[in-house]
Formats: sequence, C-alpha cells, structure tokens
Amino acid sequence: MSGPPAGVGETVVAVEDVSVRSRDRLLLDGISIDFAARSLTAVVGPSGCGKTTFIRTLNRMTELTPGLKVRGTIRYLGQNIYAPGVNPVVVRRRMGMVFQRPTVFPMSVFENAAFGLRIVHAPEEEVDAAVTEALQRAGLWEEVRADLDGSALALSGGQQQRLCIARALAVRPRVLLLDEPTSALDPAATQRVESTLERLKEDIVLVLVTHNVGQAARISDRIAFLHSGKLVEVGATADILERPREKLTEQFITGRFE
Amino acid sequence: MSPSEPLISVPAIDDLRRDRSGHLVGRTVLDRSAKWLLPLLYLVAIGPILSLVYWISVRAVPTLSWHVLTTNPSGEAGGLYAPLMGSLAIILLATAVAVAFGFLGGLATAEYLSDRAAETVRVSANVFAGTPAIILGLFGYFALVEYLGWGPSLAAASVTLGIFMTPYVFRATDLAYASIPRHIREAAVGSGARPVQYLLRIATPIAFPQVLTGIFLAMAIGVGETAPLVLTTNQYSLPPTGLFSKAGALPLDIWGAYQNPLPGIVTAAFQSAFLLLVIVVGLNVIVRVVAVRSRRRLEGLYR
Ligand SMILES: Nc1ncnc2c1ncn2[C@@H]1O[C@H](COP(=O)(O)OP(=O)(O)O)[C@@H](O)[C@H]1O
Ligand SMILES: [Mg+2]
Repeated sequence: MSGPPAGVGETVVAVEDVSVRSRDRLLLDGISIDFAARSLTAVVGPSGCGKTTFIRTLNRMTELTPGLKVRGTIRYLGQNIYAPGVNPVVVRRRMGMVFQRPTVFPMSVFENAAFGLRIVHAPEEEVDAAVTEALQRAGLWEEVRADLDGSALALSGGQQQRLCIARALAVRPRVLLLDEPTSALDPAATQRVESTLERLKEDIVLVLVTHNVGQAARISDRIAFLHSGKLVEVGATADILERPREKLTEQFITGRFE
Repeated sequence: MSPSEPLISVPAIDDLRRDRSGHLVGRTVLDRSAKWLLPLLYLVAIGPILSLVYWISVRAVPTLSWHVLTTNPSGEAGGLYAPLMGSLAIILLATAVAVAFGFLGGLATAEYLSDRAAETVRVSANVFAGTPAIILGLFGYFALVEYLGWGPSLAAASVTLGIFMTPYVFRATDLAYASIPRHIREAAVGSGARPVQYLLRIATPIAFPQVLTGIFLAMAIGVGETAPLVLTTNQYSLPPTGLFSKAGALPLDIWGAYQNPLPGIVTAAFQSAFLLLVIVVGLNVIVRVVAVRSRRRLEGLYR
C-alpha cells in the first residue's frame, strides 16, 4: 500500500520558501526545511510562534480555516502538494495527523482504527490485518485486544491518543504529523506515547510539534526552532541543545522566555 | 495597621456548626422552609395539569373500548376510527413535510452556509417559529384549499401542519450538527475523509439522536395543534382514502363539541382528548429513551 520504502536520509517532504498569511498578518515567513525518511524532527518554539500553522500546511489542513493563504512549495516525494489537480484528501491519506487533544470518534476501538481504511473501501480481510498492525505499532494492542468492540470513548486519555496514532497509521502513511500530542496527557501516558514515537521513527517520517524542550531532547533526531513565524535554526538535536548558533535559540532552550 | 496584618480577620472558631460571628449555620427559616416550600410550589405549578389529566381520564376511560376505536362516527353516536386515522395520516404526512424542509435546511445551515448566512437563516426560522398557527391556517386555506384547489383535504391539512412543524425540526437539526466539536471534524478530515464522508460516517451518527428527538417533539406539538387544521380540513365520518380526500382529526372533534355540545359529541370529544394525551405522552417517552441511550453512547465526546 505504501510503495517501495524510502531509503534512510532520502527526502520525503521538502518545504521551499513557504509563507502563510491570514487576512491581516503574516503567520509564517519564508520557511524552508526538508524532512528525511526515518527521522523525527521536533518543531519547537514559544506559543503563538506558528508551530500549529506550520504543521497544518504540510498536509493542507490549513484549507479548513477560511482566510489563510499559503505561498511557496511543499513537495511530497517530489510532487508539489499545492499544485493544481492535487487532491488534498489524497495528500492527507499519505501524511496523517494527530492533534493536541485525543480526537476519537464515538465508535468502537476497532472502527476508530479502521476509519481511514473504511473511507477508501478497503477489503474486509485487509482491514483486520491493518488494524491489528496499526494498534501494535501504536503500542496499544496489548491493552485493547480483549475488547476491540468496546467504545473508544471509554479509554483513558493516553490510550485515546495512541488510538489516534493507530488510526493515522492504519492507512500506512509515509509521514505522521503530530501537534503537541502529549500536552493533554499525564507523565505516564506521555512516556508511553514518546516510546511509541521512538519506535515509529524507524520506519516513517515524524514531525512532532512540541513546546516541551525536554521531550524534543528525549526523542528527536533534529530540532527546528520557530520564532515569530520564522525558522530561526534547524540542526541535530544535540547540536541545537549544546551549541545553538542563534541567541534566540539559546534563550528558548534554556527556558528564558515563555 | 501594620502591613502584615490581614485585612479580614477570621476568628478561630473550631465549632464547625457556627459561622465566624458565632451563629449556628444552615438553620435559617428559609433553609428549613425550602424543604417543604419547593415541593409545594411544584405542586401548585403541576396541579392544574394533573387535575386536567384526571378530569379527562375519568370521563373518557370508562366510555372507551376497542369498539369505539374501530368504528366510524355516525351522527351523535361517536366512533373514533375516522378522526384517529385522519390524525395519524395527517401527522405522518406533516412529519414527512417538516423533515424534508427542516432537516435539509438545518443541515445546510449548520454545515454549508457561511457564519453570517447561517445567522440570518436562524433568525428567520425563529421569527417563523413564532408565527401564530392560525396565520399558517389562513395561508393553508388561501394557498392550498382555494388557490391550488385542493379543497379541505388530507393534503391541505398535512402540508399546513408540516409547515408549522418545520422550524422545530430545523432547529433541532441545526443545533445537532453545529454543536459537534470542531476537533472531531478536523480529525476526520485529517484522516483523509472527504466532506461527504465526514457527514455520513461521523457527523450524522453523532447528530442523529438529537435530530430524532426534535422530530418526535415536533410530532408531539403538531398532533394536538388545531389552528392549522380548522381552515384546511373538516370533521368527517370516514377515514381518509387518498391525498385529496377529506380527513377528520382528533383535535377537530374537540373543537366540534364546543360548537355543538350534544352529549354524544361531548363524550367523543373527551375520548379524543384522552387519545391525544396518550399520543403526546407516548412521543415524549420515545424522546426520553432516545436521549438517554444516545447520552450513554456519546458519553465523553464533549469532554
Ligand atoms: N486562522 C487564523 N487567523 C488569524 N490568525 C491566526 C489564525 N490561526 C492562527 N493565528 C495566529 O497565528 C499565530 C500562530 O498560531 P499557531 O500556529 O497556532 O501557534 P503555535 O501553535 O505555535 O502556538 C498566533 O498568533 C495565532 O493567533
Ligand atoms: Mg499550537
């Protein structure tokens, strides 16, 4: 379903000079960054700097907000996702998204995980296998296998968030976009989501928005620091944390603003 | 006053039944009287309704029988078959009309119109819902009975009553879809759902119980409504046989008894009133059941 695997280091998503404008101001200003296969990039920055806006431009979720204008190019495996004729629905099936709050649907655990497959009318026998695999990859399988038909709304917040990850994974996307996925969770649930993400970065591209530098330090390969809609600096996690090139980055990682 | 001194001093009284001035707490006259005053006020409010139900029941129930329900009225000796069938036919057709307009209108308003257009539609619907039913009856008479030449008929009564019921269905539908949390839509779209897939697979199962509740409430309100019927159909001793046949209705029996209070007709009026009460209570019970079941299913969604 996902085609030949992309090799390590091969660019999957290339962002070229992307700006986003609302009716009255510039929210993102000339962002360029590449995302390689098998990597976890943490996008950090103070609240209101544009992290959510940025991650939503990557799979055209910005289109749900009237009045936002996106300029520049975002390539998925070389194809501009904003080119005429590209179907945003297909883009979102290749680049899944997980939100700040768990967003399970009022259905069974199984049907939640199967949602992305149902809407493409996947054959029944494929659905079963893909749901099992997705729940395993999301690190939720052991906890829910006994009651797959139970309501997803009965799960804890942390389980719901991992179910949302499973729902995104079930269609075998190449890219998973996560917008502060642990900000509504307690430390134990956060830890489980983090270990899930560490395993996932072995096969897919992860872009993780977080305002938590500690989380970025724990699980990311690379940190991109956004400030006032600009990409200030991007580099290997250790480099950014130990030897930031920019003064603003240093101030942020040492907790001197926000 | 030294700066460290607190502005309000709280005496250390460890007797937990006393407030800070030493008075016993929670034993005021008002507190004590609330225990029996509230139930009393409740009784005063509900008393007239209960006595009405009682008064109708004692006059209707002893005279009701299967025979009465299954024979047509003839002269003063009343069977209820014709008006009962007339009422059922009218309410079902009227519901179809109200759902067709109210559901589609509410859906479009909640899901497709811009915020400003939706607000305009909502305000108009509220004004419309406040229109006195007799004015709709007048509209039904001039537009349907006279202008379209339908005559006093099942169709004229149903369409008029359906228009009366539309705003209730509209409001329930609009509210049901508009109150689905935004993050649920985002999650569906973020999972690669097309808008119509979000609507059919996610939004409608969430909204449906509330829509259904609105439909049943509209039916409960509509089934006893008399004003839209008095100008669009007549009392009639046979059940309706087609859209343009005449059709009686239970509320018209009651109305007729007022104009022509012969003993047999008055009895039929009480029987009709009782049947209407049963139907209204039944519809409200359905509403409760739907609401409770869906609340259980959707528990936690709006957290
Ligand atoms: N639809 C919008 N219209 C106008 N301004 C917006 C819109 N969405 C977000 N913003 C503004 O853009 C800035 C960046 O928002 P966001 O991307 O949510 O930041 P972050 O996720 O880093 O906290 C904020 O100042 C926010 O108020
Ligand atoms: Mg944000």
